[in-house]
Amino acid sequence: MTTKSVAIAPKSTVRVAPSVLAGIGAFAAVGAYVLVASIDLGLWTSLGPGAGLFPFAMGAVLVAMSVVWLIQELRKPSQTAEGVDRGLVLAVVLSLVVLAAVLDLIGFQLGMFLFLMYHLKLRGRRGWPSSLITALAGSVGAFYAFNYGLNVSLPVSAFPLLNTIGL
Amino acid sequence: MDTLNELMGGFAAAMTWQNLLFAFLGCLLGTIIGVLPGIGPVAGVALLIPLTLNLDATGAIIMLCAIFYGTAYGGTITSVLLNTPGEAASAITTIDGYAMTKIGKAGAALTIAAVGSFVGGTVATIGLVAAAKPLGELGLLVGPPEFFALMVVGISLLVALAGKSMVKAVISGALGLLIAMVGIDPVAGAPRFTFGMDRLLDGVSFVAVIVGVFGLSELLSYRKDTATPIVHAPNLRSLLPTRGEWRRSAPAMARGTGIGFGLGLIPGMTGSVSSLLAYGAEKKFSRHRNELGKGAIEGVAGPETANNSHANAALIPLFTLGIPASPTIAVLMGAFLQQGLTPGPTLFTEHSEIAWAIIASLFIGNLLLLLLNVPLVGLWTSILRVPSSILTALILLFMVIGAYTINFSVFDVFVMIGFGLLGLALRHLDIPLAPMVLTLVLGPLMERSLRESLEISQGDFSIFTSRPISAVLIGLGLLIVFSPLLKLRKPKALNEDPET
Repeated sequence: MTTKSVAIAPKSTVRVAPSVLAGIGAFAAVGAYVLVASIDLGLWTSLGPGAGLFPFAMGAVLVAMSVVWLIQELRKPSQTAEGVDRGLVLAVVLSLVVLAAVLDLIGFQLGMFLFLMYHLKLRGRRGWPSSLITALAGSVGAFYAFNYGLNVSLPVSAFPLLNTIGL
Repeated sequence: MDTLNELMGGFAAAMTWQNLLFAFLGCLLGTIIGVLPGIGPVAGVALLIPLTLNLDATGAIIMLCAIFYGTAYGGTITSVLLNTPGEAASAITTIDGYAMTKIGKAGAALTIAAVGSFVGGTVATIGLVAAAKPLGELGLLVGPPEFFALMVVGISLLVALAGKSMVKAVISGALGLLIAMVGIDPVAGAPRFTFGMDRLLDGVSFVAVIVGVFGLSELLSYRKDTATPIVHAPNLRSLLPTRGEWRRSAPAMARGTGIGFGLGLIPGMTGSVSSLLAYGAEKKFSRHRNELGKGAIEGVAGPETANNSHANAALIPLFTLGIPASPTIAVLMGAFLQQGLTPGPTLFTEHSEIAWAIIASLFIGNLLLLLLNVPLVGLWTSILRVPSSILTALILLFMVIGAYTINFSVFDVFVMIGFGLLGLALRHLDIPLAPMVLTLVLGPLMERSLRESLEISQGDFSIFTSRPISAVLIGLGLLIVFSPLLKLRKPKALNEDPET
């Protein structure tokens, strides 16, 4: 009885970081989902191992490791890495999403030109000449280099108007 | 003799002007990736796969291989001149390399590093030539259980070496395997984890995942304090090392070659392990060991030779057994598969001329790098002066093109963005990314060999322990995984290795 109470560490003042808890929870949830889904896929058939066997094992590993990680964290919370630059993450991710959404509509050249101008002129605060030159080379230049140099075709605009002027 | 004839045939095929151009371009791009601190070899090679999509298989692989070992050369330049390694395998070089820069011997350090890299790379390629046939024949005898066991060993090693926590490394590996499972199941033909999306029937695009997890997430985790560094290229006259420096470097290069070659053969070992051990060897055996840390040439020659010897030796398990030894090689293997080539023993029987042309190009590429690297050092340092906002924009441009052109679909650009965010979350949680890349590529092969083995044994798992080779390998894998319990500790410096 006494040895047991000694073995339990004094209540630590450091708490498990919320982001770590969320991470562990997410991995456990993915693992649990995979476990259930792979049973539906069939673990074993008359011919041998089924489509679900390997994913089932991986789902089990994921759940088991999440549990071990949680125990480790409860015993000794790890220090989380420094926070990220949220402005940068938001700017890059949103601009990429917008670019991807309109790429097939307005074509690679116009889309990439605007994308690069945003990152060079607005976010990077570069001067007009260097922004324009880099953005043109990265959009129109890359388009022609890939299309004619490497035989890799990049998308053109779906709008007839833009399409006819070569964008 | 037979081998020599085939190698000569390979040289003939690699010496066409197109293939020479591809090797040259690959060396150039690889060096640039190596010089740029923000982008590592894994994302770099993945990013440039689209450039090679419409090339013929030989040219494409020649170029990607050149990019791969070009990064090992390029990483040195910033280590020596700036005290920041361009890639992890050159981290240890900063100690004596930068010390040499401070005493005005940067030129000699760079030249010795380039020559050492050439020696290490060339000797390892000779090893590849010698080992290709016998190991390939051995590989043909290996059945599914042995193949599965071999992959288990490779993944266990990487898991054991990766990051600070093995639990996190295993999670990373399991995630990679699960991502690889998405799509039509190769045996039963049933769709798995496609969530009703037709796009996912062929699986998640490998390039989009790698570019997202390694490239985009790296860029997203940048901090503001990255100011453009001030660098001065050493003048050409100072590039020539003195006779004494040559004499001191030779034994270090010999040790580095041996260490890099030996470790390169072991799946799961990364170049950083080799360069660290080579530095350790210099500390122990060099006659000038007391000068190490204060700008001793051995501290540059040993590790730099070792990491290039490692990079080229690591191609041996890929070519002969189809096992990628490190994350970068796993990406290279993905490129092979994309070109319809399956690396492994059958490569030499089915695509012998391509295989030998690639091997011949390794010799040519190493020579090209030696010629390019030193005289063009001014050009490489000028890349470092490009402002970070322009570099970021251009890297994003390549990521979008890379993800898009794999299937010519915007869907893959979204996949890349999603995996970029996942990568950022994994970095934040301190989960190593390397096991994920390896299992992503190996996943389908592992599953196939596991299922084939169990079909052979009619569902009896003892097939893995009753066959001697696979039993030994599985035992080895277990030993590696449980080695922390056996107090086999890894070097502390590896915790910071982004490739593991």
